[in-house]
Amino acid sequence: MAMPAGAIFLVFMALQIACIAGALIYPNEFRYLSPQNLTILMKAIPVLGCLALGAGVLMIAGEFDLSIGSVYTFTAVLMASLVNAGMSAFLAAPLGILAGILIGLLNGTITLRFGLPSFIVTLGGLLFWRGAVLLYNGAVQVRFDPEPAFSALFSGTVLGINAAFLWIILFVVGFHFLLHGHRFGNHVFATGGNRGAATAIGINTDRVKLTAFAIAGGMAAMAGILATARVGSVQPGQGAGLELQAIAACVIGGLSLRGGRGSIVGIFLGVLLIHTITDVLLLLRAPGFYLDMFIATLIVLAAIFNHLIERRGIA
Amino acid sequence: MAPLLELHNVSKSFGALTALRDLSFHIGEGEVVGLLGDNGAGKSTTVNLISGIHKPTQGHLSIDGRKTTFTCRSDSAEAGIETIYQHTALVDSLSITRNIFMGRELTDAFGFLRQREMREIAMEVLQNAVHISGIDSPDTLVGNLSGGQKQAVAIARAVYFKKRILLLDEPTSALSVRETEALLNQVLKLKAENVSSVLVTHNLYHAYQVCDRFVIMSHGTKVFDVDKADTTISQLTEYVVLT
Repeated sequence: MAMPAGAIFLVFMALQIACIAGALIYPNEFRYLSPQNLTILMKAIPVLGCLALGAGVLMIAGEFDLSIGSVYTFTAVLMASLVNAGMSAFLAAPLGILAGILIGLLNGTITLRFGLPSFIVTLGGLLFWRGAVLLYNGAVQVRFDPEPAFSALFSGTVLGINAAFLWIILFVVGFHFLLHGHRFGNHVFATGGNRGAATAIGINTDRVKLTAFAIAGGMAAMAGILATARVGSVQPGQGAGLELQAIAACVIGGLSLRGGRGSIVGIFLGVLLIHTITDVLLLLRAPGFYLDMFIATLIVLAAIFNHLIERRGIA
Repeated sequence: MAPLLELHNVSKSFGALTALRDLSFHIGEGEVVGLLGDNGAGKSTTVNLISGIHKPTQGHLSIDGRKTTFTCRSDSAEAGIETIYQHTALVDSLSITRNIFMGRELTDAFGFLRQREMREIAMEVLQNAVHISGIDSPDTLVGNLSGGQKQAVAIARAVYFKKRILLLDEPTSALSVRETEALLNQVLKLKAENVSSVLVTHNLYHAYQVCDRFVIMSHGTKVFDVDKADTTISQLTEYVVLT
């Protein structure tokens, strides 16, 4: 469990040192340490972070959710429309999360009830909820004007640190204790690692997986809240591809595609790494396609590395 | 006194295939019973029946003289039966400690794991109860262990959650000579604490070493039921081979 997270930590630290050194040597050309850049990083990380945490827990339980990008947009549109219709954001946001949880439960129920690969079921979910956004709202953006207290809570600044960043730290700590220090987490690892053994010992693996699906859906909605509060509007197409980035972050962070292996710290480091590399490439004014190529290379290298570790059984 | 576990005229069919026919035997308190028979005699079906994975087509089981129906694995666990499988039910990607406590974690009131306590117990069980060679830490991942070591972890799990009946399905098949010795001693030690064991095996020598009584199966039913005092290993071999 510790090994891939340890390796990714070394990569992350090496990159940080290189970036900080570069920023100190060329303060005008490479503005990595400028307050503006750090603020942008802190605002960008929480959205992918929430998505990846939910997707990661589900992956450790042995299932995938490709629909989280669409669910993220759908629940955000739902919340923003409810607020526009006069509802308090403090009520609309929990309703959005509830919708995410219900969609997760639906994905899980279909997957488990019919014994299908979750990959296919949630691929259906990806298209369905993307379509649902257009049906419900059309291809126009939705403005989001919550009460100031709501904005302060999710996109304000506390002691110079972005509120959304504090939220993601909170989630990382909470998920860490849930997955590595709680009975539920032990059952998640057991279910993903060897479902037959977990069932034989008396663990209700269907319930564990269903809960993990609900967490993935709920966290997708949470990502939607953070993103919408930050920008002040929802674009109907904004979630496309995010589900793959979330899974990429998990793989980079040392999760096995077969389930049963991984850590919360690893997932978060995966998210940080993706955003740091994105940021560095932007600062270097690299054209956009370099970004995709870099992330792609990183994912494949990480997958190879994880596979080697699994084969030797030293994870 | 009613026997701890008894099978009453149990039959089990899978479609057209009859795996068990009219099988009856009992296990007394603090008794070590050897369930013997060649491959295909119905031993594994019997194990699955007792551990609640299969339900009898006809007949029934009783615990302490009371008729019971096991509908799943946890029913039999609740009745005090612990099964150790041929293919051990362990998770490779988890540590030894977490495997021992899998599904039965020690937690506080909020469900958070009492990790230090579980680790200490695991260490204690590994060092004193089951002697496994080559394991120095309960934090080792089970995927890194040999087949014999894995089996020993499964036995350690059963030993710690002291049950009334230990159902050992071919437990020695993956063990080294030394590990086999340790396991058989373990069975005797548990017997001294009034824990019964059913040793399902086709290794007659291992069975003869520790069992008080032998139940020999052939073609899905019982062909011989004898106390150790009234038989010899050559008679047992004869029954296994010739029936």
